[in-house]
Amino acid sequence: MSENLIIGIAGAGGDGVVSAGESLLTAAALEGYHGIMTKSFGSQIRGGEASCRLRLATRPVLTPNGPLDVAVALNWEDFKRFGWELPVEPATIMIYESNTGVAPDKLPLEGVTPAAVFSVPITEMAVKHAGTDKAKNIVVIGLLAGWFGIGCESMLEGIRKKFAKKGAEVAEGNARAFQAGLEFAQAHPLAMDRKLAVPQTGREAKLLTDGNDMCAAAAIFAGCSFFAGYPITPSTEIMQFLDREIWKYGGTLLQAEDEIASIGAVVGASFAGKKAMTATSGPGMSLMTEMFGLASIAELPLVCVDVQRGGPSTGMPTKAEQSDLFQAAFSAHGDALRPVLAPTSVGDMFGVTVEAFNLAEYYQTPVIVLSDQEISQRKETVEPIRTTTFKLVERRRPTEAELTDYARFKLTESGISPISHPGMPGGNYLAAGIEHNELGRPTASGELHTRMNEKRFRKFAPLQSRRDLFEMEGDADALIGLVSWGSVAGVAREALRLARAEGLRAKLLVPKLLYPVAEPVYQDFFASVKRGLFVEQSYQGQLYRLVRMFVEVPALVQPLAKSGSNPIRPAEVLERLREMAAALQHNHA
Amino acid sequence: MTNLAAPIIPITPIIPTTPSLPSAPTGQPLMTPPATLEPLPVAAFQAGNFKSDLKPIWCPGCGDFGVVTAITRALAAVGRPPHEIAFISGIGCSSRIPGYTTAYGFNTVHGRSLPIAQGIKLANPELLVLVAGGDGDGFSIGGGHVAHVIRRNIDLTYIVMDNQIYGLTKGQLSPTSPRGRKTVTSTFGSLEDPVNPLLYVLGYGASFVAQGSPADMPGLGRIIEQAIRFPGFAFVNVQSPCVTYGEAEQQLKAQKARIVSLESIGHDPADWASAAERAREQATKFYTGIFYRNPNPPPTYGQAVSQRQQSLQNQAVPRHDILNCFVPNH
Repeated sequence: MSENLIIGIAGAGGDGVVSAGESLLTAAALEGYHGIMTKSFGSQIRGGEASCRLRLATRPVLTPNGPLDVAVALNWEDFKRFGWELPVEPATIMIYESNTGVAPDKLPLEGVTPAAVFSVPITEMAVKHAGTDKAKNIVVIGLLAGWFGIGCESMLEGIRKKFAKKGAEVAEGNARAFQAGLEFAQAHPLAMDRKLAVPQTGREAKLLTDGNDMCAAAAIFAGCSFFAGYPITPSTEIMQFLDREIWKYGGTLLQAEDEIASIGAVVGASFAGKKAMTATSGPGMSLMTEMFGLASIAELPLVCVDVQRGGPSTGMPTKAEQSDLFQAAFSAHGDALRPVLAPTSVGDMFGVTVEAFNLAEYYQTPVIVLSDQEISQRKETVEPIRTTTFKLVERRRPTEAELTDYARFKLTESGISPISHPGMPGGNYLAAGIEHNELGRPTASGELHTRMNEKRFRKFAPLQSRRDLFEMEGDADALIGLVSWGSVAGVAREALRLARAEGLRAKLLVPKLLYPVAEPVYQDFFASVKRGLFVEQSYQGQLYRLVRMFVEVPALVQPLAKSGSNPIRPAEVLERLREMAAALQHNHA
Repeated sequence: MTNLAAPIIPITPIIPTTPSLPSAPTGQPLMTPPATLEPLPVAAFQAGNFKSDLKPIWCPGCGDFGVVTAITRALAAVGRPPHEIAFISGIGCSSRIPGYTTAYGFNTVHGRSLPIAQGIKLANPELLVLVAGGDGDGFSIGGGHVAHVIRRNIDLTYIVMDNQIYGLTKGQLSPTSPRGRKTVTSTFGSLEDPVNPLLYVLGYGASFVAQGSPADMPGLGRIIEQAIRFPGFAFVNVQSPCVTYGEAEQQLKAQKARIVSLESIGHDPADWASAAERAREQATKFYTGIFYRNPNPPPTYGQAVSQRQQSLQNQAVPRHDILNCFVPNH
């Protein structure tokens, strides 16, 4: 029995690779398993190659990364295109389509012999039992069910759900194809038992979704009533979800002519008093930057979600990367500060999005949520979220008394001024990108500019002590410290747990508030640290560099940073942890 | 350390007259003004109620003074209180204009007044939304947005103060400068044909297209009033001369001599083809009045949005139950 099962499937677009993964994940979720599924495509619109990586486990899953237990190749050419993302290892069980004509002992894999190899006539079985080669993916599900467990009823349920719209005939054909796969597996048993153990948690209703849909749902929960956006991979599903939902709540969605108009309309809606959001990816963010400056000086709340992909420019639009941190922190000209938040998982996306709205409304500022391609598009089981425990913050409206002598940009002690909106009698003021006095009137006074800058920075001071926007795990006084963020934080966390299980003393800091850099939190964390790593998915190690602008980071804390499309694996981080532990021991001895 | 809470400038109300202004009747929903040209029965407001006490930065004699007066007259005639008006602009001399009124103003960034104004109107359809800016703001840096506000037919009024020059940056070529015009960035004369703002918006299907001049300020006020009352996107081009960098033939005195009222030549504003014909003569003739007013205006974006919201509102689950859609066997 196994606690953990990692499956990689690759084939041509149209082979139903992703559908197979989704059906498996749905079935596993119904059975009470935890799981994460990522998908990866070539950048072709249709056809091309497609793959999915699916990790199922009896306990909550932190990352889909890790060595494959089973790899499925529907054809070798496409499978090999994902060599970086789905590497075959000595422990991997290799399943492939026999009509590829490759002999089991002549697999086109370099320098590795899988633990077991099955050549299966997948297409032939699909045609024979379902009457169409479109059922190839269903045969694969049957094979996996037979070899690795997961209840057949739930599997069939998962398939039914996935293909519900296609009618009874398809459903019956699928059921027969599934049965054929299952029987093939039963007739060719594995030499070793790799079946998934029974899940530890019960079969309570888990949520199953991806980061983009979770973000959109969180926006609805937070009271977002205006969204404007322009389609861009990998963020577009946020707009698509909201287009199905926002109207029902009296809200409005605008597909704008470009990202400048998107953020412009959002600034306008916020000025009109509504909670407003846009979502984009790196190139769209670049177009929005002038408007971030406007919203900062006019002190207007808004949320912008940047689903990061490989860059610069079009870069690798279907691959995850964490290389927009500098852009998020420093976008727009002039002196201004905009909070940047990052979720670490699909489940986390809910709280982070709600927090983004809360910060935006409270501090009257743009807030950027840095998601990434992996979180945005990976499907994940999420423990039920009790939404009613999340508090919602509304912007500070002027009181009746304040409206009689209204000063929109009043220099208050907190730096936060009461904000009116058109339609509110007595609240009339001039919002502007021009520096202004407390009344909103244009000024060129150096003194006033300084005071207003100070106000606009001072208001964020409380963020320095938002320790709740950080997660710390491990030994508080450890000499070894990891820092990681976004989807990669799960990898670091898994490595940390493996290391501690080996008796290593180490700790991990996961910031969800990336900017402003909360200096006291890092100072406390690094107080005991002699060696460590910033684990992140960018060439430069952007968080490492950003934190060093504000905090003394110990010299032997270095980035473990990789460009996108090069998955960082827990085993690799674990190895580095062991090396650091050994080095520390050596120095000590 | 100084007391951060202490204001360093004396605070005077922006609109000292507001408390004594007549406000909208209480207990009644704010309605969009009726699509009629009939003035309201009671003159609730004077133009002065819409003028702020902020001193314009414009050069003495600038055409924009007349435009702000015309706008405040139109607003008084329409009769909505200042707090129900959002006046949005971009960047340029003319874009300072919202600050000279008592409406809620937003002096945004260069070329983006229209996207921001659309967000405001969609977020609160009950507001009267005015947009203003110069020829560079509207037809150079912001030109890409004009087509989209027109095809969406968002109910706002867009006033372009066209002075054929970049005044704020001190006299460079603008998208409406005539070919051959010499400026500091076209030392030997412009090599480009100008944009024709009227044809531009007519071409994209605008339902209300007009032109006016501060040389005929009362006439301009009436044109703007009709634009505001028009249900849907309305465009008003104003030939507003630059006294500092403009040519002599652009100045108000010269304009006055050239003005031909479209009404006086029997132009039918319901006739799109005739409107386009007149608009084509922009380089040589100076027509004022309504070029085109769609006799059967299409539904506004706001109306369509409101219908959709109403038809879908029954399908909303409580916001705190929104995550239920992610339960696999839900």
